[in-house]
Amino acid sequence: MRAGFTLSDRAVGLLFIAPFLAAAIFFMVYPVVEAIRMAFYSYNPLRPDLSTFVGLRNFEFIFADPLFWDSFWQATVWTLLSIVFQTVFGVAIALLLHQALPGIALFRGLLLFPYIVPTVVIALIWRWIFNPEIGVVNYALQSASLIKEPIYWLSTPSMAMASTILLNVWKYTPFVVICVLARLQTVPLELYDAAKVDGAGVVRRFLDVTLPQLKEVLIVVIVFRTIWTFNKFEEIYLLTKGGPGTSTFNLAVYSFEQSIANLRLGVGAATGVVMMVMLSIGSIIYLRVSGFGQDEKSP
Amino acid sequence: MDVKLEGINKSFGQVQVLKDINLVFPSRKFITLLGPSGCGKTTLLRMIAGLEPVTSGGIRFGERVVNELAPRDRNIAMVFQSYALYPQMTVRRNLGYGLRVRKTPKAEMDAAVERVAAILEISHLLDRKPAQLSGGQRQRVALGRAMVRQPDIFLMDEPLSNLDAKLRVTMRAELRRFHLDLGATTIYVTHDQLEAMTMSDMIAVMHGGIVQQFGTPAEVYGQPANLFVAGFIGSPPMNLLAGELRGDDKPTFASPGLTVQLPNLVAHPPSRDVMLGIRPQDLDLVGDHEPADLRGRVWVVELLGSEKLVEVEYAERKRVTVQVRAETSVNVDDTVGVRLNARRAHVFDIKSGATLRS
Repeated sequence: MRAGFTLSDRAVGLLFIAPFLAAAIFFMVYPVVEAIRMAFYSYNPLRPDLSTFVGLRNFEFIFADPLFWDSFWQATVWTLLSIVFQTVFGVAIALLLHQALPGIALFRGLLLFPYIVPTVVIALIWRWIFNPEIGVVNYALQSASLIKEPIYWLSTPSMAMASTILLNVWKYTPFVVICVLARLQTVPLELYDAAKVDGAGVVRRFLDVTLPQLKEVLIVVIVFRTIWTFNKFEEIYLLTKGGPGTSTFNLAVYSFEQSIANLRLGVGAATGVVMMVMLSIGSIIYLRVSGFGQDEKSP
Repeated sequence: MDVKLEGINKSFGQVQVLKDINLVFPSRKFITLLGPSGCGKTTLLRMIAGLEPVTSGGIRFGERVVNELAPRDRNIAMVFQSYALYPQMTVRRNLGYGLRVRKTPKAEMDAAVERVAAILEISHLLDRKPAQLSGGQRQRVALGRAMVRQPDIFLMDEPLSNLDAKLRVTMRAELRRFHLDLGATTIYVTHDQLEAMTMSDMIAVMHGGIVQQFGTPAEVYGQPANLFVAGFIGSPPMNLLAGELRGDDKPTFASPGLTVQLPNLVAHPPSRDVMLGIRPQDLDLVGDHEPADLRGRVWVVELLGSEKLVEVEYAERKRVTVQVRAETSVNVDDTVGVRLNARRAHVFDIKSGATLRS
């Protein structure tokens, strides 16, 4: 061993983790702390010198604002429906792609497509697809004589909500598929054989073998997808800008509007804090109820 | 219920894994499919279970052709190598699963589960999940799940291979005992010849998708049908010495360093090139100056406990293994003589591998 400058294992470990730690503090911890701090201040970005501590006033403001509550309920609807469809389609498509068929790898690869394309591009394409006059959706429906009049996808409130959900489901179902597919490939085949010998048909094999094996991955996927979808900003904003009117506002769009359009950064920050608290509480309750991590695995 | 396999062939794509299997497994017997990995034994078992389609040929249970029947309609039960217990279910639900799927009334189901649990001495484990059980306990639950439906035929795919050596010995005896008590036909797959010898009524030795020999354990050990069986069955393995056959009325085996008369040879040899097979137990070590069939130098000595295995080099790179009592005093590099019990020798045709002893 050469004498001289040496570091203990502990020091080397800290050194390795330092770059990440620095980045995390700067880009994650600091903004969160700053947002929480700002939630208690009145802050106009054009007049930073007038920033004053206002205590809970920002929270009082948003809880009294009907638009906040509209946005909350719309975000809930948008999140719930998105998650339900993503999970159902995701599991179904994963089961299809799990079949050992020639060329199936190609379809597994194609699956990543919606995931790779930037959201801006997707949102712009979907605006064309949904265009009432020249969009392909109306054209197809009219050609098939399913509708007579064009549907105004993005400019009637319920249809706008449906369209944003459709976009979200389309873009993020592959995420569910990939997670479920990965898990499916590790389910021991002998379990299916055992179930067949025991007399279980296709449906029972799905319910008694496949689904229990997918339970843990589905819990994780649903938690993540819920958090990400509830906080989602760019898809809604790029597709509908929250409109028509405020019919597709969710809390992220509400926060953005308050901060940037109304120049009330404190109120926007307070909205963010409320979202964080709601999601934390929701996730903890969900993980407890679903018994995540308490189920012992069998080798 | 007896199981008849009639001209079974099985191919996966271009690869033929089973070739013209014709076997009759008598009712209520313990039958073992024995062979090295890749010999097709598990595929054959899965075909009997209905988990794998038959490429051609017929499978009959009794008089009933079952080729097209789903596993659930064959009244079989199977024990898997990994046990394949449903991880989310308690032992009780695992045991009762087959009955529950078949919509058995609850009282009847509970009674069946309790009965089997009592036989296997796992009653105290009924409310645990598989992850909370030891390997041996899981093994018992897997066995119980098979027993609970009272099937006609038990299929077992290397069920002991995941257990430690000591438990395996105990379970061997128990499996044999359960088989006798249950009175079902048992078909057991293993690569372990000791399991096959100790538990079976009949053994089908398989290699390369072909049944090499089907007979009682004593038959496959005592009268191996060909070179493969001779080499595969028996531990320590049989000595196989290449040489040629001389003399028609008094057939004699001759190879460098060894010439021996073969009193038992009856079949007419198709060729003069043969392989002499002799088990280490049928060889004897004698002193350097006593009459012997072989002479050589001790190459290595292995102590097994009650026995010793002595490898003797009798010609360049030609060695035989001799099994002697552990007390026998013998050292490496001793010059020794080896006597051969010619009545116990086997002779095989080198080309076909078939035995030349009727």
